[in-house]
Amino acid sequence: MAKKDGDHRHEPAPMVDEVSEFEILEVAVRELAIEKGLFSAEDHRRWTEYVHTLGPLPAARLVAKAWLDPEFKKLAVEDGVKASLEVGVDWVKDMPTQFGTPSDYCNLRVLEDTPTLKHVVVCTLCSCYPRPILGQSPEWYRTPNYRRRLVRYPRQVLTEFGLILPSDVEVRVEDSNQKSRFIVLPVRPEGTEGWSEDQLTEIVTRDCLIGVAMPTPGVTANVKLPVHPAVNPVPHH
Amino acid sequence: MTTSDQNETETGQTLPDLDTSPIGLLEKVRTEGRVWEDLCEQYGVDNPLPPWKVNMDGTCDMLAAEDCALPLLERRWEEDELSDELYADIPFPERQLLALAHSMIKRGIMDEDELASTMKKVGQRLNSC
Amino acid sequence: MSKPHYDRDHHVKKATGIGDPQCFKGEAGAPKFKVGDKVKIKNLPDIFYTRCQMYTRGAPAVVAALVYESPAAEDEAWDNTESPEWFYSLIFRQKDLWPEYPAAYESDTLETELSERWLESA
Repeated sequence: MAKKDGDHRHEPAPMVDEVSEFEILEVAVRELAIEKGLFSAEDHRRWTEYVHTLGPLPAARLVAKAWLDPEFKKLAVEDGVKASLEVGVDWVKDMPTQFGTPSDYCNLRVLEDTPTLKHVVVCTLCSCYPRPILGQSPEWYRTPNYRRRLVRYPRQVLTEFGLILPSDVEVRVEDSNQKSRFIVLPVRPEGTEGWSEDQLTEIVTRDCLIGVAMPTPGVTANVKLPVHPAVNPVPHH
Repeated sequence: MTTSDQNETETGQTLPDLDTSPIGLLEKVRTEGRVWEDLCEQYGVDNPLPPWKVNMDGTCDMLAAEDCALPLLERRWEEDELSDELYADIPFPERQLLALAHSMIKRGIMDEDELASTMKKVGQRLNSC
Repeated sequence: MSKPHYDRDHHVKKATGIGDPQCFKGEAGAPKFKVGDKVKIKNLPDIFYTRCQMYTRGAPAVVAALVYESPAAEDEAWDNTESPEWFYSLIFRQKDLWPEYPAAYESDTLETELSERWLESA
């Protein structure tokens, strides 16, 4: 579409104008599962529409609010599900199921860092992740490399994310293995005095909420991490 | 991974053998399909994930829901195994999709021939509009 | 959400509008352990399904919180929701889990949740 003077329409965003075999495979797997009655098209549509709305913004805002309001911080640490309501996330009723799902449930725990305690979250069993408040997990969070190594070599893994912590800071790995889901409430960084809730929200990235990064003024993006196969995985007994 | 721990999960359990042998139809997709990374480059798109990913995630969630045709833990474990071996050269999320289809075929949830004919129908439909 | 048929209708009815694990509140009876208790993780047989990580078996831990009541994952996997248990948040010292964990970082810890059946007093 050509831009006209006085016209606020923009160039359309570029699009992939090609149907790949992978796209065909995805549709075929879904349609065949529906045809076999494993789930209904309506359920799939409702679930997908819900998932589409999710992202890390509510969790970032929850942290910013907690930094600004000690009472809210207390609530967040005591009852993450209740605190989530203030950032527009209802763990029970937002879900198309109205009670959570086999992979999300409704028990958010907010892990409060201090200058001498740093939390970092993993799920060694599968890839449990607080989707209702943080969206879909990044690829590295799903890999055996991260899942098997973080529990055993946390400082080494954090170093790979660029986070090097002194020995007087206790690193606490949270292995999310049951019905609770976790986000990290990091320490508010220096240099953010007088900032608004919106400004603070911007520096609480997804990585900060998982615990592999610390919020830093001026940093609003996640690290780009190459994905490798597991080296030194946890051995099986 | 060594053979001795091949069927052991993080909780030390032994799962039924996963047949990691290649499946003809999925091999065709693996070798001939164009992955999102390449398409993005060609068309100048910078969306990091293909639009179909959210639908695939929905399918995984629905399969693990109440009737539980494919439980989450098993699917994730099989995806790890397959990503490590058979589909190691394919990027994410294409790899997850191949692993999902692989698990469903090997578990008898759907068979290769019916998936092939559904793909044919879907391909004709998507390419005609 | 409508489904062609539900195996767990009772669970759905029970949890709708309340949430899971909230719907099991009050069903586990008196908790056996309290915050601060020293416990040890049992190595129970679990041939079919468990969410108790291998690396925690036999290790000492401290109860950090009583988090919720729910059927144990090992029961719920088979639709058995008859006997909910207390779930505990447990803190392990890393060097109790991994003997070779560097001494320089001896204050490092790991936290995870397990149901009451996995715990014994230490």
